[in-house]
Amino acid sequence: MSAFCRVLLLGALLLAPGAGPAAADADKPVIALLPGVVDPFYFTMRRGAEKAAKEEGVQLLFQIPKTWNTTEQVPILRAFVAKKPDVLLIAPVDKQQLIRPLKEAQGAGIKIITVDTFIDDGKYQDGKGPGDFPLSFVASDNTEGGRIAARALAKAIGGKGTVYCENNKPGISSTDQRVQGFLEEMKAHPDIKVLATQYNEDDANRAASNVSAVLARNPNLAGVFGVNTFSGMGAAEGVKRAGKTGKVKVVVFDAVPGIDKQIKSGLVDIAIAQKPADMGYWGVKYAVGAARGKKIPTERGTGFVVMDKSNIDRPDVRQYIYSN
Amino acid sequence: MTAAFSPSERLDRPAWIGRVWPWLFLGALLVFFEVWSRLRVDRSFLWNVYNVQAILLAASAPLLLAIGQTFVIIAAGIDLSVGFVMGLAAVTVAQVAVAGGEAAWVLPAAVVITLLVCLIPGWINGVLIARLGVPAFIGTLGMYGVARGAGFLAAGSGMTVSVPHEGLAWLGTGWTPIALTGALLAVMHLVLSTTRFGQYTYAIGGNLQSAVRAGIDVKRHLTAIYLVSAGFAGIGGILYAARYGAGAANAGEPLLLDSIAAVVIGGASLFGGTGTLIGTLIGALIISVIHFGLIFIDVDAFWQFIAVGVVIILSVLIDQYKERLGAGA
Repeated sequence: MSAFCRVLLLGALLLAPGAGPAAADADKPVIALLPGVVDPFYFTMRRGAEKAAKEEGVQLLFQIPKTWNTTEQVPILRAFVAKKPDVLLIAPVDKQQLIRPLKEAQGAGIKIITVDTFIDDGKYQDGKGPGDFPLSFVASDNTEGGRIAARALAKAIGGKGTVYCENNKPGISSTDQRVQGFLEEMKAHPDIKVLATQYNEDDANRAASNVSAVLARNPNLAGVFGVNTFSGMGAAEGVKRAGKTGKVKVVVFDAVPGIDKQIKSGLVDIAIAQKPADMGYWGVKYAVGAARGKKIPTERGTGFVVMDKSNIDRPDVRQYIYSN
Repeated sequence: MTAAFSPSERLDRPAWIGRVWPWLFLGALLVFFEVWSRLRVDRSFLWNVYNVQAILLAASAPLLLAIGQTFVIIAAGIDLSVGFVMGLAAVTVAQVAVAGGEAAWVLPAAVVITLLVCLIPGWINGVLIARLGVPAFIGTLGMYGVARGAGFLAAGSGMTVSVPHEGLAWLGTGWTPIALTGALLAVMHLVLSTTRFGQYTYAIGGNLQSAVRAGIDVKRHLTAIYLVSAGFAGIGGILYAARYGAGAANAGEPLLLDSIAAVVIGGASLFGGTGTLIGTLIGALIISVIHFGLIFIDVDAFWQFIAVGVVIILSVLIDQYKERLGAGA
């Protein structure tokens, strides 16, 4: 019986979907994309990357960690290194812990470009810091995004009240910068009090519970800034559960599927959509350039789209909602 | 029980398969990936130092937790707290390194202090389960939460703590973590298979009443086993901080289920009384080879989650099959 099972399993694996890598051509670069976690943001990024890969005629490898955790991302990174891609596009899950594993990858002859998040200080190729070796960083200007969120939330609550940030966890470059930008901008609003940031480890349920807890302690809470996809989803859900839709203004980063309904129903006041498809697209374009020996810019900023009730129905805005 | 060619001899064959299945499966996996690799990319999968090192490195983290888990499971218990005890350890070693400064003695002191700190959740588990009669699942589930909170508290607002200097890094570089894990596995294998400590572990898991009647101090032994489990979680945390240069409170969170899976795939029964560390090693290697291999052959990530789940189910089915035929004979 066990022999039969083994045969079944082997058969299933042999027939498993998955295009095998063609023997890497000298001229046909292989690009590997390793995002942070299962998230519509990164699936949208993948589509942008695939579009560029098709245009350039290169092969794109893709794997995705199931949780936002170094222990998950590094083994996948090593498996990718074994496949000897020319360039690795990665969204490092921690700006310090991924330095060593990426340095090892670079030592194996693979060029590194980080998308969405960075390692070390994010300024590459300037001769400073242990995380200087990646070739480029393609992402939104997250500090500016945080400032935009702060301005939007300040306007939504009428310039005064108590607010706080609902965040994934510290140590991630993108979300850290958004909170930083948010706090900086809020200094210009003396009538707004910013409470301590709460963390949810990228779990929407935890985010919702956090909102409930903060509300219980601060019944006059005026607004919440959900700093990334799951923080935003959870923040909106938490406000809804407390029956405070409309009373507590919600500004979220990242336009998840269904954000249009949430905006229209008033559950979310403003969504700041990044352009992950652009990140994926330009990441691959730069990767191909690097693989062919060209010099590429060390940084590329992709933009934002601010979505609210006034524009959410326009097709040129809706196209930026993320999808799986 | 009676003459030659009795029913029990026909029953021995399925029992043999049960013991050997993890090896066979690992072998089949390796053959499969090697053949695929040669045919499709004209490279060897196994005759490649990098691949072997990557697979062993990826297996070493859950394997350390699984060593302790093996003792616990053989003794008919379970330890759900190992993931967060590992995180607590990683944070502790980093915090001590930060507090101690640059002196040469700081890092060894950090390691010792961390191991001592990890004994606390292990001891509490032992007291709850062995002396207060709390079921292992529930007791260690409670400690899962306590260790998690303790880890985050110890890390402060950052949730991770950087290790300020490179002195610990050698533990986490190259073959060192693999060699260390292998050495610990070898030592514990000898403990489990040749010492009285190991014998008592099997006895308690196989038949608690008989163990008591035989005069084994079950309470003390069980406490010791949970201390061992927590100790290995501590070692896992220290190696994490060595490898990544920082202690993260959630370092071991993804590894809890892998540690249990490794023990089960290796042939141990969750009811206790059977299992070996070599089996656990094979189990950890099977999981690591599957993860690495499926990425190597470009299988979509979600199939990997399914693949490991399928292997666990198959292992348990084979274990059940063994039990039903009374293969303990």
